Amino acid sequence: MSWILALPLLIPFVTAIAVFLLSNSPKMSARVSLAGSLAGLVAALFLFAEVASTGVVAGQMGGWPAPFGITLVADMLSAIMVVITAITAVAVALYALGEIGAEQSRLGYHALFQVLIGGVSGAFLTGDLFNLYVWFEVMLISSFGLLILGGRPEQIDGAVKYVALNLVSTILFLSGIGLLYGETGTLNMADLSRVVAEHPDQGMMTLIALLFMIAFGVKSAVFPLFFWLPASYHTPGFAVSAVFAGLLTKVGVYSLIRAFTLIFVSQPEVTHTILLWVAGFTMVTGVLGAAAQSEFRRILSFHIVSQIGYMVLGLALFTPLALVGSVFYLVHHIIVKANLFLISGISQRMTGSGELYRIGGLYAAAPLLAALFLIPAFSLAGFPPLSGFWAKYVLVKASLDADAWIIAGVALLVGLLTIYSMTKIWAEAFWKDDPSGRIPKAPQDGPPLWPCYAAVVFLAVLTICVGLVPGPFLAFAETAATQLLSSDAYINAVLGAQE
Amino acid sequence: MLIIMALLPFLGALLPSLMIRAGRNACAIFTALPTFLALVILLILSPSVMRGEVLQAELAWLPQIGLSASFFLDGLGLLFAGMILGVGLLITLYARFYLSGEDPMGQFYTFLLLFQGAMLGIVLSDNILLLLVFWELTSLSSFLLIGYWKHLPEGRQGARMALAVTGSGGLAMIAGMLILGNIVGSYNLTDILQAGDAIRASDWYLPALILILLGAFTKSAQFPFHFWLPQAMAAPTPVSAYLHSATMVKAGVFLMARMWPVLSGTDAWFNIVTTTGLITMVLGALIALFKNDLKALLAYSTVSQLGLMTMLLGFGTQVAAVAAVFHIINHLTFKAALFMTAGIVDHETHTRDIRRLGGLRHLMPVTFVIATISALSMAGIPFLNGFLSKEMMLEEASHTGLFGSPSALPILATIGALLSVAYSFRFVVHVFLGPVRDDYPHKPHDPPFGMWAAPALLACLVVLIGVAPFLAEGIVTAAANAVTGADLHPHFKIWHGFTPALWMSVVAVVSGAILLLQYGMLDRVWEALPRPEAKTIFDHLVAAVVAGARRVTEITHNGAISRYLAIFTIASVALGWVAYSGGGLGPRTRDLLAVPLVVAVGWLMLIVATGYVVVNHHHRFRALVLIGVIGLTVSAGFVYLSAPDLALTQISVETVTIMLLLLALHFLPKVTPRESSLALRLRDGAIATVAGLGVGGLAYAFLLRDTDTISDYFIANSYEGGGGTNVVNVILVDFRGFDTYGEIIVLGIAGFLIFSLMHALLDGPAAKRLRARDYSQDRSHDRHPLMMVVVTRVLMPIAMVVGIYIFLRGHNAPGGGFVAGLVVAIALLMQYMASGFAWTQARKRIEYHTLIGMGVVIAGLTGAGAWLFGQPFLTSAYTYVHIAPVEEFELATAMLFDLGVFLTVLGAVMLMLYSLSRIARFAGETVNMEPMDYDPSEHVDDGKVKV
Repeated sequence: MSWILALPLLIPFVTAIAVFLLSNSPKMSARVSLAGSLAGLVAALFLFAEVASTGVVAGQMGGWPAPFGITLVADMLSAIMVVITAITAVAVALYALGEIGAEQSRLGYHALFQVLIGGVSGAFLTGDLFNLYVWFEVMLISSFGLLILGGRPEQIDGAVKYVALNLVSTILFLSGIGLLYGETGTLNMADLSRVVAEHPDQGMMTLIALLFMIAFGVKSAVFPLFFWLPASYHTPGFAVSAVFAGLLTKVGVYSLIRAFTLIFVSQPEVTHTILLWVAGFTMVTGVLGAAAQSEFRRILSFHIVSQIGYMVLGLALFTPLALVGSVFYLVHHIIVKANLFLISGISQRMTGSGELYRIGGLYAAAPLLAALFLIPAFSLAGFPPLSGFWAKYVLVKASLDADAWIIAGVALLVGLLTIYSMTKIWAEAFWKDDPSGRIPKAPQDGPPLWPCYAAVVFLAVLTICVGLVPGPFLAFAETAATQLLSSDAYINAVLGAQE
Repeated sequence: MLIIMALLPFLGALLPSLMIRAGRNACAIFTALPTFLALVILLILSPSVMRGEVLQAELAWLPQIGLSASFFLDGLGLLFAGMILGVGLLITLYARFYLSGEDPMGQFYTFLLLFQGAMLGIVLSDNILLLLVFWELTSLSSFLLIGYWKHLPEGRQGARMALAVTGSGGLAMIAGMLILGNIVGSYNLTDILQAGDAIRASDWYLPALILILLGAFTKSAQFPFHFWLPQAMAAPTPVSAYLHSATMVKAGVFLMARMWPVLSGTDAWFNIVTTTGLITMVLGALIALFKNDLKALLAYSTVSQLGLMTMLLGFGTQVAAVAAVFHIINHLTFKAALFMTAGIVDHETHTRDIRRLGGLRHLMPVTFVIATISALSMAGIPFLNGFLSKEMMLEEASHTGLFGSPSALPILATIGALLSVAYSFRFVVHVFLGPVRDDYPHKPHDPPFGMWAAPALLACLVVLIGVAPFLAEGIVTAAANAVTGADLHPHFKIWHGFTPALWMSVVAVVSGAILLLQYGMLDRVWEALPRPEAKTIFDHLVAAVVAGARRVTEITHNGAISRYLAIFTIASVALGWVAYSGGGLGPRTRDLLAVPLVVAVGWLMLIVATGYVVVNHHHRFRALVLIGVIGLTVSAGFVYLSAPDLALTQISVETVTIMLLLLALHFLPKVTPRESSLALRLRDGAIATVAGLGVGGLAYAFLLRDTDTISDYFIANSYEGGGGTNVVNVILVDFRGFDTYGEIIVLGIAGFLIFSLMHALLDGPAAKRLRARDYSQDRSHDRHPLMMVVVTRVLMPIAMVVGIYIFLRGHNAPGGGFVAGLVVAIALLMQYMASGFAWTQARKRIEYHTLIGMGVVIAGLTGAGAWLFGQPFLTSAYTYVHIAPVEEFELATAMLFDLGVFLTVLGAVMLMLYSLSRIARFAGETVNMEPMDYDPSEHVDDGKVKV
């Protein structure tokens, strides 16, 4: 079973090397990158099918038994995340055909992008805490590379903040790993699940848990650790920011979910209560931050923060339904947010700016783009029958079921402010005429626009599918939540797999 | 049938956008088609519904969360569906003539059909979640329709405001419906309607009621949420007529009627709903009277009339419910007709300002007749339908007490009626009567038949029902029975005798007429009065939220990385404190060891060096030297703690990084500027100290506890399973080779990134500064001294051999690919330092990029090779080889993997160096092609000696 687990992360690395060798031929490397992403999607779907039919799949790298060797393991949550990563990769690789020029390609855009995808997949699949750290590093270095690609001063500025804050969190992560390894003598997450639960010094365990909470909290950009995100996400290229917006913070959320369902569950009254507060503040500060912005991608960036709050909310409530909500929200958010960033790219190509008060007229000039914007924007705002409505609905219902009145109210109110921001973009960029009277038009030179549109349509269709037929997606999320809440299947798959 | 009917508008929604290419008539026809078909189906279904049957149809959608696409058609649904589809047809016709050639008609009709479908969905839903879905969809489609004239700022604002208000109501309703569903245990309306007693008895009744009413009130523009409706009048008139008078705003009323059997009958219901309705009715009518914009007048009158219906439902009596249902129909007919006439006036005269109109009856006789009939009906004049339901309202009001006062409600209801008489009359008198003027913005005349056909038809209905009210009895009975759940048989009569209601009506009409006669004076008083404008309040509220948001964001998000780090550190310390103070920290299980002198000295060195870095960090060079000291001390610590591998790695890493940093420092100012004030530094210092103490405390606590380890396994299996006796190396390349694989990718990319960052830098503004720098001042006259060249040349093969040695022995003794890569890199680095970049570069055979790539590929292939033997990724194998003169030695695939590590490390380091030297050349460094600046051999007579 090893290959089926390793492929989703090896294919991107192989592709990365291939495009690295091809970096002098921008067209070829873009195509190879797309082909690699498609292959990755196929591999991810294989894995998903396997997990859906047989349950948790685990394999040992190097053939050393758990907990000594490194485990790759896919439960439903991991499989879902790997598939959605591959989907995002395909969309962004497609989009890149229409955005990434020869220069960026030569500087290694495609290779870095593939490495990033590989790192993200690795983070979702690993069953080993230190290995997770390694994938974090891979993601950090490749995302840093993508951030500075082009080297405009504001990019460097954003990238330095991004890297500095992420490195600090990495230090905490590493300290946490060290302490935990010292206390328990193991890094295997399934093994940790057992050992931590039986550990005599629960106070120490909680302390270490909070170290991880901060480390993963920075990664997932929760309050008050999210500063790096709005400081950097509006600076790089659009394909880059789309893949960041879709995937990076979600790795943090995934890690939070993994750590606080599998490993650190012995004192939920401490850990999950903190998470609940964090969720509330994250939702509110993010959406308020967005309300204060007037730049397309900055608004979207702050909304990422706000939406992370919803995902953490599901984890904090720690009920089956709430976790279903979290998982569903993750999937919905990745598709929608990546798409919005891609759309902002087309918008900027046509209008020449992302500053909402300086642009306009897109509705008249590009009705298709307008229609395509409406789908993810209103999905994000939680309008039915789009994916965001179900995601929000399940979480609000879970909050009410758990008698968490206030947080349910906060979740709903934040939805209102999200509507405010989305309609602001709509009214300014699309409805309003351009204040300088120019008619938005894509410049003739440069790569063609159709791949960008194709990518956007692809994700929009997915959003509609999830919206109109949410049943199967909810069912998958339910399976994932069930596996998260009773870790036996996970632990048996990993530790029972040893010969 | 029912489902097809409900979905027809959605299915047909794209048709108009496609058919617009075939012309405007085709576009309108294909909009009418789905509507018409749905109407036909409705008519086919209607007889059984009129007999009191309830038709149901269901499609499974999301059973997990209780949502099914189930529809049902009862009397109330039939009434509303008929209104939605019927008026929809009329509006389609009207809009065909109303919209000008420049307006994108296809989009308009598409939005209209989407709205129609959503509205139809609301009234047919048998599942409250489904109802919610459609409810939000109406908000959405109405948003698009209000902003249809996208060039109008008021249209955009109005659309956003409408969406914000109705959207927030919708959100409240989600919560309300969820509670309702939880009480009943089902989201099916039919189940919920059976469970009225349980719901009213529940503790959750009041929150559910308030939340659902919030939804209904916002949608139906009830006070204090009424302000969005007039703002929505920026929409094209067909939209105003359809959404904002006939259908969408009645969704709130519909919802209250739908939930009437379940929620009404309590004091809370009566007080909230009646009061809200009453206030809205009076206030709306009052504002309407003084509006000069025709559509604003109608908008506020709609608000007022919706208040009337709300109030009637609030009474909670069956008769009042019948009146409410009846008034829904009547209001629909006259108000839609009035909106359309307002649209005609606007279309013809190019203004909607009442002050600029007057005397139109001669110029637009047809419009005049339609408007008069409808307006008089709105005023409640006998023989028109408005009279009938208003009379019923007054009758009910006359014997209903409010808050203990028997007369408050009748008086206020009469005032409301009086005001509506006044504004209705004003609509006719100030627009159509009076002398013909000669200053209309555009010379008006009656519009084409297509445009006045729809309002004329509605006006006919107004008269028909007014004269023969029994015609409406059937449908009203069916609807009212559906609302009340009772078996009522109301009979509508024009003449009830001299009832209190009649007198109230008379008072209203007479005083209303008098009011209008005194309009000039009243208007001046009105203008002079201070009035809180709900819209302004709302705008201020939004502005305040945005300003507050901006302030919060500016405080936390000022762009300074030091602030972000401070917040991060505080958060970490706070969480640590929470965990610590929560108690539960186990007791210490170990004693502190004695501190030997060596350790104490090392510890002191570390502290002093670190402190010195903090104090002197503005002097980059000094700081760098001290960082080197710290690194070496740590390596010494590793040696002391018997970790030779770590020590070896640490020393070589330290050497390489310091060398590279030194090279990089060359291009930076020697001193960094002081950016923060003393206070700021003190604050940051305090935060840092607390955090440091926290981490120290944690480490201390940790060291005093017993630990658990799985190292024994590694030690036991290192040789047998991995074929090496150096456990650390076997862990790196075998047990946890997967980690290493990830890390060499990181390292490779890091090298590559520095390369591409330099590349970007040299194109950017930094390049200018570099060029401007003068290097001649701090340049040595002998940059490539002979001694150094000779020594490095001699060292080169030695270092190479050491590197290879370290690499080969790595599996069994301290060393390995990583360290070996660094050692070889240092050997090469020295050549660069001694003889300069260009000279060395010219002797390089392999691209550094390729080295990195090869390293990663070799490591990856080694791992994937295991698959060929059916083993997991990275499974190693080893064997013993004996080649003649050499002793038997071991070959492991892990060594191949280590080779990958070696190459990557070497490539990455060299690429970094290459990047730095590129800057140097760019900055004006001269290129040397000779190994050294002063070549002594040049002075030897018989020519040059190659070094």
